[in-house]
Amino acid sequence: MHPAKLHPLLRGAREPSAVVHFSADDWNRCLRAARTERVLARLGYRIADAGALGRCPAAARDQLIAARAYPGFLQCRIAHEVSQVRRALPAADGDLILLKGAAYHCAGLPLTRGRQLRDLDILVPRTRIDAFERDLLAAGWESQPLDEYDQRYYRDWMHEIPPLRHPQRGVEVDLHHRLLPLTSRLRPDPDLLWESALPVAGMPGVRVLSPVDMLLHTATHLFHDGAIRGGLNDLWDIDELLRHFAAQPAFWETLPERAARLDLGRPLYYGLLFSRALLGTPIPAAVLTDVGRRFAPARPVNALMHTLVTRALPPQEGRSALTGLANWLLYVRSHWLRMPPHLLLPHLIRKSLRRLEHAGDHSRGGF
Amino acid sequence: MTLTELMHAQDRRGCVGDGLFYRSGPFIIALRTRLADTLDLLEQFYGPCWASRDPAVAHFQVEVNSASGLRRWWRTQAVFALDGLHPFEPFPREHAFPLLEWGLNWSIATRAHLYLMLHAGALERNGQALLLPAMPGAGKSTLSAALAYRGWRLLADEFGLIRPADGAIVPLPRAIPLKNRSIPVIREFLPDAFLGPVFPKTRKGDVAHLRPPLPSLERQTEPAQPRWITFPRFVPGLRRPQLKRLEKSLGFTRLAQNAFNYRLLGEDGFTTLVRLVRECACFSLEYGDLDAAIALIAEITADAPG
Repeated sequence: MHPAKLHPLLRGAREPSAVVHFSADDWNRCLRAARTERVLARLGYRIADAGALGRCPAAARDQLIAARAYPGFLQCRIAHEVSQVRRALPAADGDLILLKGAAYHCAGLPLTRGRQLRDLDILVPRTRIDAFERDLLAAGWESQPLDEYDQRYYRDWMHEIPPLRHPQRGVEVDLHHRLLPLTSRLRPDPDLLWESALPVAGMPGVRVLSPVDMLLHTATHLFHDGAIRGGLNDLWDIDELLRHFAAQPAFWETLPERAARLDLGRPLYYGLLFSRALLGTPIPAAVLTDVGRRFAPARPVNALMHTLVTRALPPQEGRSALTGLANWLLYVRSHWLRMPPHLLLPHLIRKSLRRLEHAGDHSRGGF
Repeated sequence: MTLTELMHAQDRRGCVGDGLFYRSGPFIIALRTRLADTLDLLEQFYGPCWASRDPAVAHFQVEVNSASGLRRWWRTQAVFALDGLHPFEPFPREHAFPLLEWGLNWSIATRAHLYLMLHAGALERNGQALLLPAMPGAGKSTLSAALAYRGWRLLADEFGLIRPADGAIVPLPRAIPLKNRSIPVIREFLPDAFLGPVFPKTRKGDVAHLRPPLPSLERQTEPAQPRWITFPRFVPGLRRPQLKRLEKSLGFTRLAQNAFNYRLLGEDGFTTLVRLVRECACFSLEYGDLDAAIALIAEITADAPG
């Protein structure tokens, strides 16, 4: 994709000092898209790091700075929830691993700056998950009542249990025992993650994934656990993790091997490919070639994915039939990856029947 | 160019395309609308404000238009959009202007976190400002409107924007929405002030907008230093206004509850509020009569130099 044709938000993310040459129209498109994609504050930090914030138009600077307040507030809220969860769990339950946003924040990674953080995702051993849940329920967290089908959906098929919430704080706590649903096509072994997880300074009993595993999980979350559309914030995570960990010795060398062991080669391939294509992430050519050779899909699939993802991930302005089709195909793909057809078909039928029954009822956000 | 000049110099239909850009306080607003009555009212209320047809970087990109589909033909409705999203239910078509004003206030309250936002009227005299923080219904708009035509410059009737860097109040003079009983009160008290049409039966009852005095709009980019904080409460029939000096600690607690974004700003919110309360004298005021309240306020603020 030619950089000049990219959306101004992507241009700003790739080359933050170039925003000083934006027209008013570029700025308005950029700011609007950055809000919709929840990356306005992150863009602001990038521009500030490039030393260009002072040269932005005042109205743009106002917004880039004002946008920092809300993510900061959400991060405090999650950090507090982490300490509450840890306190509520007896040491006998064992360690927990923070995932995604909570991990970036508690591990003090620079990509946490400006990142909106709503839910608390935690990985625990599958053998212990019932004990963790019992202890949290006993300490005041609540689970929303689910019917038998929903319970089974979570317990038998999913990688997490139904969300827990403390009524006074309202933060959604998701306990996972794996990275992907039990029914998913890719089957990363959680034991491998536990072996290399790292302690968090100042938080006993709390760990985060190792750098390579963290990157692999982020890529997996975007490309194999959802519909990709609206995932620019996740792609931004991949980009910043790569830029940050690139400085660590042996990061690039261990990445492909680790992906192969965890069965996450394909998401790694997509993560590197699209992070570079859309956000201009610097990736050593040898790594790209190696990952492509080992993990890229067959050529027609590769070409199709490129077409779909480069339509679905950038900010979507107005309506276009082709982009609509890309969104839809990626949505279908996400279900295809989550469940084998003999489970998927009845599940989707049940889901659409229920949607008819509960038209306008949004309480079942879990689906 | 001012909004009035722009409206008279240009073909108004042009506002449909790239939109109209105008200034309200510290904010640039990009507005798209095809509704001629809304543009007319906008000009009447914000005429002296800077405006442009050429694109400017905007703080808020909003749109107010008739709802599409069947609603175009039967009981037409007006919809408000911020960044292309519709945060609220449509209003009846005739209420497009109050919808725009209300939608903009909502947009400001949810986004303008560069400031500590107090739910307060604010007025200035000789460079020193009076804050009137209160919840809706306490008579803050009415009292602000009355003071604005009695020697004070209106900074804001709804948003006391405090700038954390220097503690100054940044003006945001907007059309003052008077509700229900306030409309005849102000009509009698300020017979010469410009009052827009009455919009009956909105979500907040009958609403009519009062235009801020022109100097207040012309000087909308000049901040002022806060000096007095008075929590007003309208008590019907109260002849003699009751004024009480408040402990600063109490003033602080009440303002922390009053602000739109105190919790969100975290430490910045706390330090800004501490500074504000330290620099101001705090009072509570119960009043039933505007003239008496204005006289009492003049007394407590008389020590201003000049």
